[in-house]
Formats: sequence, C-alpha cells, structure tokens
Amino acid sequence: MQIQTTAEDQRIAWLAALAITIHILESAFPSPLPGIKPGLANVITIVVLVQFGWRSAAWVSLLRVLCGSLLLGTFLTPTFLLSLGGAVCSIAILWLACRLPGRGFGPVGFSLLAALAHMTGQFTIAWLLFIPHPALWRLFPVLLTAALLFGTVGGIIAGGISTRQRQCST
Amino acid sequence: MTRADRVLMAIVLCTLPLLYLHFWTDQEPATVLRMQVADMDPTVTPLTPDRHVQLAGPIGESIIEIRAGQARFLDSPCPGKVCVHSGWLREAGQLAACLPNRISIQLLGNRPRFDAINF
Repeated sequence: MQIQTTAEDQRIAWLAALAITIHILESAFPSPLPGIKPGLANVITIVVLVQFGWRSAAWVSLLRVLCGSLLLGTFLTPTFLLSLGGAVCSIAILWLACRLPGRGFGPVGFSLLAALAHMTGQFTIAWLLFIPHPALWRLFPVLLTAALLFGTVGGIIAGGISTRQRQCST
Repeated sequence: MTRADRVLMAIVLCTLPLLYLHFWTDQEPATVLRMQVADMDPTVTPLTPDRHVQLAGPIGESIIEIRAGQARFLDSPCPGKVCVHSGWLREAGQLAACLPNRISIQLLGNRPRFDAINF
C-alpha cells in the first residue's frame, strides 16, 4: 500500500526529525533540578509556528514527544505523560496566541508563552498524579523562573533562525 | 520584539515575584502532633503547653520536645541519631522518624491532604 504524502507532510517529517534529534541530544545533559531543562527542541516548534503556522507546529511538537519517547524508552511512562501534558498545554496556548489581533506576538512572545504553559501543565500533572503534596507548590515559582529564562532565550534563538531563513529564501 | 512580546514580558516579570510571595509565605500552621510507636495506635496530642514527652520504644526511651508549636526528637537511644538531626518540625505535614526505635512523629494541620505517598 502506498500512502500519498504531500509536500507539507514531508516538511513536517523533516522538521519533526530535527526536533527529535535536539530532544534526544538534550536528554543527555544532566539537569540541575528535576523539571528544569532548556527545552531547545521547542525552538524548532516556534520556528515552525512563525514560518508555517500553528498546524505544522502542533504536528512537529506532538511527533517529537511521541517519537522522542519511543527512542528514549520512556513511552507511556510518567516522563512521557509529563512531556505530553506540557506539549499539549503549550500548543493550546500557542493556538490562542496566534489569534491575537494586530501585529501579535513575535518569536520571543510565542516561546515565552509556550515555555510557561509547558511548565504549568507539566507541574499540574506532576502534582495531581505523582506527588500530591502541598509543599510541591513551593517549587513552582522556581520552575516558572527557569521557564521564563529558557523561554526567552529560546525565543531569541528562534527569532534569529527565522530571520536568517527568510534571508536565505529571498 | 513586538509590542505584545514586551507587554507579555512585563506581565510575567510582575507576576513572578507575587508567585514567590504566595507560595513561599503562606504555610499552614500545625495544630497537633501525631506520635506513633511500633504497631500501636498513634496518639495525637496538642502542641500546647511546652513539654517533653517520653516514648518507650523497642530499644529504649525517646524524648520528644514540644515547644512554641514545634516539635523535635530531643534524644533517642538509636546509634545514628538521624531523628535528632532532622531538627525541629515547624509546619503541618512535616515528619521525623526514629527507625531503630520504631517511633515516628508528624505535625498535622486542620486539613490533612493525604495519607501516604507511594512511588
């Protein structure tokens, strides 16, 4: 059986592959605190969002979580649930952010929103399912600070990539 | 950065300190101390007045100190003294245990959030 693929399908596959590669490379780095991670793979999501729109970004993001977990051996483990929850939250907030009238958000705004939503979603799942202890919430501001930092940096990188790409294509 | 980016950044920067303030200052005060020796039923005791409580465990007598709404292991006949070194329990939910002497103490607040955690 032959599945007909469109140019868009192939583009999404390429970009998802790139995001998965970054995701796996990043998982090799030790984390200073559980839950804190630069989230460089999300840079790809933002670049895709800015250039190809929300639909492609959602595909790339979900494919990254799915394939990344299969390759790392975390599929359907708590790690996977956290990862998926975070990804779904950030995609949802990006969907809203895309609908902002006027000039809207740039890469930095998108990335920051995505990082904060990712962290909040992940944290809520961790709290509801795994560690329902009120003291866990004390970590929340710390994790959000990390999300602010990495989200902003990721957004600046994504912005840099987008402008450079545009220069290449024109 | 677009204007929306800057506004968002400003909102986030203003909200973060509030979150720190919110989550790092409001702690639920403890009202009672729960003490358990071996397999016996736990005893629950109020945190006033200040006093010492002697608990007899399998290897000897542990002394719990209750003072100013806090509690700690003052002394225990165990070799490692992990329980003593865990120091004062200040907030509801905090727990200290002396495993050799099979004694555990925990501060409880008005609304216990969970019975046990399993990883």
